[in-house]
Amino acid sequence: MTPLQVQTFPEAIAAMLPWSGLWVDVLSALVGTFLVANFLLLNTAVAGPWAKRKITAAFTDRISVNRMGPAGILTIPADAVRLLSKEQIIPEGVDRPAWDMGPILIPFSALLGFAVIPMGSGIQVADPEVGIAFAFAASSIASLGLIMMGYASNNKYSLMGGLRAVASNIAYEIPLVVTGVSVILFTGSLRTSTIVAEQAQPLVTLWGVSIPQWFAFVNPFAFALFTVANLAEVGRNPFDIPEAPTELVAGYQTEYSSAYFVLIYLGEFIHIFLGGAIAATLFLGGPAGPGPAALGIVWFTAKIWAFYLFTQWARSAIPRLRVDQFIEIGWKGMLVLSFANLVLTAVIVGVLA
Amino acid sequence: MSLERPDEREEETAVEERSADEIGELLGDNVIGREEHINAPAYVIRPDAVQETLSTLKSEAGYDHLSCVTAQEYEDRYESIYHLKKYDDPTQEVSVVVPTDRENPVSESAEPVFRTADWHEREAYDLVGIEYDDHPDLRRILLPDTWQGHPLSRDYDQNRPQVVTLREHANPLQEDYKAGGQDSDTMLLNIGPHHPATHGVLHVETVLDGEQVANIDPDIGYLHRCEEQMCQNGTYRHQIMPYPDRWDYTANMPNEWAYARAAEALADIDVPEYAQVLRTMGSELSRMTGHFLALSTFALDVYGDFSAIFMYGMRDREKAQNILEDLTGQRMMYNYFRLGGVVWDLPEPREEFFEKTRDFLEDLPQALEEYHDLISANEILQMRTVDTGVLPPEVAKEYGATGPVARGSGVDYDLRRDDPYGYYDELDWDVVTEDGCDNYSRLLVRMREVEESAKIVGQCIDLLEEWPEDDRTIQSNVPRTLKPDDDTEVYRAVENAKGELGVYIRADGTDKPARFKIRSPCFSNLQTLPEMSTGEYVPDMIASLGSLDVVLGEVDR
Repeated sequence: MTPLQVQTFPEAIAAMLPWSGLWVDVLSALVGTFLVANFLLLNTAVAGPWAKRKITAAFTDRISVNRMGPAGILTIPADAVRLLSKEQIIPEGVDRPAWDMGPILIPFSALLGFAVIPMGSGIQVADPEVGIAFAFAASSIASLGLIMMGYASNNKYSLMGGLRAVASNIAYEIPLVVTGVSVILFTGSLRTSTIVAEQAQPLVTLWGVSIPQWFAFVNPFAFALFTVANLAEVGRNPFDIPEAPTELVAGYQTEYSSAYFVLIYLGEFIHIFLGGAIAATLFLGGPAGPGPAALGIVWFTAKIWAFYLFTQWARSAIPRLRVDQFIEIGWKGMLVLSFANLVLTAVIVGVLA
Repeated sequence: MSLERPDEREEETAVEERSADEIGELLGDNVIGREEHINAPAYVIRPDAVQETLSTLKSEAGYDHLSCVTAQEYEDRYESIYHLKKYDDPTQEVSVVVPTDRENPVSESAEPVFRTADWHEREAYDLVGIEYDDHPDLRRILLPDTWQGHPLSRDYDQNRPQVVTLREHANPLQEDYKAGGQDSDTMLLNIGPHHPATHGVLHVETVLDGEQVANIDPDIGYLHRCEEQMCQNGTYRHQIMPYPDRWDYTANMPNEWAYARAAEALADIDVPEYAQVLRTMGSELSRMTGHFLALSTFALDVYGDFSAIFMYGMRDREKAQNILEDLTGQRMMYNYFRLGGVVWDLPEPREEFFEKTRDFLEDLPQALEEYHDLISANEILQMRTVDTGVLPPEVAKEYGATGPVARGSGVDYDLRRDDPYGYYDELDWDVVTEDGCDNYSRLLVRMREVEESAKIVGQCIDLLEEWPEDDRTIQSNVPRTLKPDDDTEVYRAVENAKGELGVYIRADGTDKPARFKIRSPCFSNLQTLPEMSTGEYVPDMIASLGSLDVVLGEVDR
């Protein structure tokens, strides 16, 4: 068994404590995950009520929130209070335990995926051997939440949204994972820290600048494919079919208000960030960037925000596909291309190795 | 007589016209009397010969456009008037009057001859109380099913409360009816009345087979205010003009022209040329505001709620609206027309107004370029809209579709050119048609019509700038109280942003209309939705609804 290559975040915390033993491991794991989860929630808080409005406004020639605090930043606490103080409406005939569990499952699954993501500056909660597979698996638990919400809401729009969500997740998860596998062919390991370390090696040196071997540079086609599948996975234009407000009102989340509504949105944003994080880990060298390694977390944050910006841009500019076209592109286009990419990569890697 | 290709326009000028007597002969024994309406000859026919008469007129005399059905009650009888026109030449009109007795107001339905009569007769039944034999589905259309009485009938009690408990209302989910027999897996979905894509309070009862539309029934009337009755309670001179602004509330000014045109024909009022130019300019600016809104909300339907195009469309709509605000003092309910002219001249200083308008027109090609980049050139949008929501030209005519909806189906029909009014026939512009018959064509027609409107406004500005200062009469001399002669009837239509907006007025010698009937283009256009959407996916139905550009204020009146 290969030894752990890097010290994980809880281990680093445990090392700082003067005691040792099982309870210290448990405590440091809790503290570590608490800090990471809160960092992500903080990002989501900025992204949801504020950055989303500002970004969309910039794309659509508007000003948007600007009354509370500098550039309207204090709208975040205001919105938090507003949303949480709304009435929690529980419609008649909803299937209770499932209806309540759906909104909890969504942010949970996305946060779980972050456990294996190396976020730079030594922040990585766990580094298991199955690393990236775990991230994919955790993020797709969200589909279960969507089905539960769609089915338990006792609403036809929710039902259709739930069905569409399942269809889209099945259709686009396969290309997503298969494209991810093409990266694994290069690294030979599922461990996220190995994947990141592999990308630190130089690809070429141009005019004295060493370009690292980021897989986005090595295989841009796979990166493009992955980004598109990722858009579908997080349900943003042109693939926001499951919600499709003008068709299905709000799809699976039609019946949710107050705290549940917040949870769903929270989950959606963390999901976008997770999508960005997986893309960064597989294709953009994880937390790598110019400057000292301690800046890793900054670069990592920049990368997941870049993906977030990209989703908002797509939202403002690209029309939504029709549901049948969406499924068709998934099964007949993306799937074929991703397998072609996988075979091609395998051949190249086999010949080179 | 197909009008699909523009090169056949030559033929159109030579549409065969029959004299009133020839038509009378053609109809033979069915005619039991003749009347003369201001706009057209009218034939009074037997109530059991409606289908025969209309199909003769349609197939043998070429009257293929049932523009409107007016129903009204006299002291001694009920009367349905079918206003017929020709798509090839709407100046050729004929009215078919069907009287029925008061005790048993039943006449034959025209629905088998003209599909559009379906909704029009339902409305006549709902508001006036005439029943139509052979009608496939004679339900109330604007009022709730539980309504008691017919509001436009003479013995209707205005003060009777219409309190209905929720329990008594029909539950649309009561029987989740199956479109394909007992074994099918269809599902009834109520889209609206509160739904992001219905653009107002429209309720579409949709039967879904999976994601596809198996059956669809638009349910209207949520915004019904009985504008017709309100107009009947107002005096011709001043009290009616504010109402038309409330019909199509996205492009308001051309509506005012509909009333102005009908009332001016009825009372024989002249309009000074200078006022005609002002009217033309205002109407076209207003049409642009309507088309910008249609474009941007269509983008909302197809792109999603965060589309940049919506705000781009609003930005340009705002510019046009600012100009109209300068002109009229209002941003929405302009109330700018008066019988015999308009209410204000251009705002002083005139140069500033001209400059502002010219700036707007100069920036417009660039803005439209942007729309073409964002919308019509987008491949995904083309995937979504080309060959969806198909409305063949014959079907469009069957349903009395007009405006961009008809022109998007290749029906070359525009009252501004074919039945000229105002200053349109003096100006240089083109009627836009597209042959695609689909959602994409309707979108393109609107985008190109904006360019044509800009051409018209530009020419109007030039004319107004050079107009001699001593000849700027904005209103002709109209008596304070208008009392058109007893028993004169007129039906006149104009082209508003949505299509043919007609107004029928019957005068009874007082200063208020005895019957005021509005022919709304959206009402007829919305009727085509089932034709377009049956068998298509829900998203395409939503897109078709957006491409029809219905304004519920005008559908429900």
